[in-house]
Amino acid sequence: MALLGSTRRSRATRVPPVVLAFVLVPLLAEAFWVFWPALQGFYLSLTSWDGLSAPKFVGLGNFSEMVHDEVFRTAAINTVLWLLLFGGLSAALGLGAALLLQQERRGIGFYRAALFLPVVFSLVATALVWQAMYQPDGLINNVLQAIGLGGWKHAWLADQDTAFYAVIVPALWRQVGYVMVLYLAGLKGIDPVLYEAAKVDGATRLQQFRHITLPQLRSVNAVVLSVIVIDSLRSFDVVWALTRGGPYHSSELLSTYMYSTAFQSLRLGYGSALAVVIFVLAFGVIASYLVRAFREADS
Amino acid sequence: MTVFNATRRRFLVGTGAVGAGALLSGCVTQTPSTSGGKSGGPVTLQSNLSSPQAKTAMQAVVAAYDKRGDARAQLNTVASETFRTQLPTYLTSANPPDAYTWYPGSVAESYAKKDLLLGLDDIWEKPELAGYSDALKKLCTSASSGKKVFVPTSYYWWGVFYRKSNFAKWGVKEPKTWDEFLDLCDKLKSKGVAPIGLGAGGDTPWVASTWFDYLNIRVNGAKYHRELLAGKHRFDDPEVRKVFDKWDEARPFFDPNGTAIPFQDATTALLQGRTGMMLIGTFFADAAPKDALGDLDFFQFPIIDPKVPVAEEAPTDGYFASARTKRVDGVKELLRYLASAEAQELYLRNSSGTALPTHPDAKDAGTPLVLKGRKLIESATDVTQFFNRDSSDALQPTADTALVHYLAKPKEIGSILTTWQRSAQKIWSQ
Repeated sequence: MALLGSTRRSRATRVPPVVLAFVLVPLLAEAFWVFWPALQGFYLSLTSWDGLSAPKFVGLGNFSEMVHDEVFRTAAINTVLWLLLFGGLSAALGLGAALLLQQERRGIGFYRAALFLPVVFSLVATALVWQAMYQPDGLINNVLQAIGLGGWKHAWLADQDTAFYAVIVPALWRQVGYVMVLYLAGLKGIDPVLYEAAKVDGATRLQQFRHITLPQLRSVNAVVLSVIVIDSLRSFDVVWALTRGGPYHSSELLSTYMYSTAFQSLRLGYGSALAVVIFVLAFGVIASYLVRAFREADS
Repeated sequence: MTVFNATRRRFLVGTGAVGAGALLSGCVTQTPSTSGGKSGGPVTLQSNLSSPQAKTAMQAVVAAYDKRGDARAQLNTVASETFRTQLPTYLTSANPPDAYTWYPGSVAESYAKKDLLLGLDDIWEKPELAGYSDALKKLCTSASSGKKVFVPTSYYWWGVFYRKSNFAKWGVKEPKTWDEFLDLCDKLKSKGVAPIGLGAGGDTPWVASTWFDYLNIRVNGAKYHRELLAGKHRFDDPEVRKVFDKWDEARPFFDPNGTAIPFQDATTALLQGRTGMMLIGTFFADAAPKDALGDLDFFQFPIIDPKVPVAEEAPTDGYFASARTKRVDGVKELLRYLASAEAQELYLRNSSGTALPTHPDAKDAGTPLVLKGRKLIESATDVTQFFNRDSSDALQPTADTALVHYLAKPKEIGSILTTWQRSAQKIWSQ
């Protein structure tokens, strides 16, 4: 009996070599291309390295420098602000657009496609188009002039008071269409009977939204939130293409500061330390979100 | 289960051991390797000359080299900023591109010191390079090894450029002194023109450095300037403050869009007469339409203190090669060709033609503009290169931030200089 049991168990749990290969080969590739460079990054964050000589081990020196680094502080604050503004606005505007465009009407497909179109373009191309619009004699200033708001004309990307917000706009312009599509899918999944019942009960549109739409969109919200958090923390291309974190660090994000420190100032050790901080932040935000999500699922 | 367990454990132990071993041996330090790479095939020439006219001229030179028959070269043109950030990676890789467009002096020295550049002493003895001036020989010799590591092929000058027709229209003339320069600015401003164009926005913030360079060599002299950039003085010293006091006098005449547009757009503004003049190197002409070239003129950056010996910025361009190249003979052959009068003239004919060849027998474009430029450099007591060429590529971003900040918030100059010194210190102490 015991023998039979063990044979059965081993037959049931033995992994066929093909399956094992399917797991191990990608894992090896991943280990080589992802885990290994990441480990190197951790090691480099403990060194001072100019990319040419051998790295000098400095322990936690880079991290203690960060504590007194004003640019790091600006970049960290901007990254949090970016997360809130970019994240919050793209969710709100995406949901708004989805609500507006959910009903099948004549020509609605055109509006949906128009809003989704920016998602198709590469972010660098998007940034270049916006750069032309933000130029001192570009479209935005010309329009302001034409409608009698010449006093509002501005060097949008060259002014430290406006650069950060000017950079968020193209990022949002692109993200809203993506979020809208996610919400449209969610809205399609809501049973119309719920709304009919609510109408019979005399619920206003706002009440319908609050008590039917929002709770029904809970699962979509989870997807949107994770997409937004990940996209916020990896935002780099649009800022780099438009301002390179400038003028004088006013639109600096942790990602752009990491890049300029490492590859422009050739302080690769400090740049790696910044990369470690970004990793920890991203991991922290995502892990805390996952824990919360699991807890909600359990309850 | 046992089978799988054993495999997984062994795999994890194996990976861990490999990882730890490599970490301990510091494999991230990319120790020099002599393996890999092919010694045959064309010599690769990595070029940062990506503006249309310069790129065409490079293609013409390489095509002419290939046509000679015995050896071939392959031109890879890379955007300038990408090239600059990738250069350390190129040079430290095991199988690097063979030759590179770049700069001599302290920039080349930073690589030569680490044995990353190919020694070129033997080709300097050949006829193509033997007649080069002593100043060029010195500029291309590594201070640490005493070997020649660079082949210079052209140089250019910086000046305050303007359109002759516009100056005639506005009824103004070239100034000589600082006071005359400020008067000129006043006159242009009264005519509704932004007197000084800049072009330190977009991806060319480094253009602002030349104002710092010129004011510093006019106020404190070229020697002090070089020492400052080498870390022997501080950016928050009173001498540097004097530079900004002078800059303050000219700052109200700068184009307000100067830090919002790159130098290519600032060139357009100059050509269209929206700005009056621009302190820039002759390379800007590569971005200008050819029919406008005849209307361009320049004047020397005004003298501020007659007691200070007159220095000019005249950056030299040329080529160096990787010490790890597998095609040593081919690279030297290519560099010898590039150093020849024939190749330099070919380059000048196909580009905007505003640079000066380094070969004593090579003819320049011969235009009045070029003759004036040559005279400017030849009559200078001292010659500087440019901020990053006299310091390092790594120090350039610190200047970009400080100077663009100064132009926007001039009153904060005290804290700007303190911050600049702090950032520079981090680079110097590496």
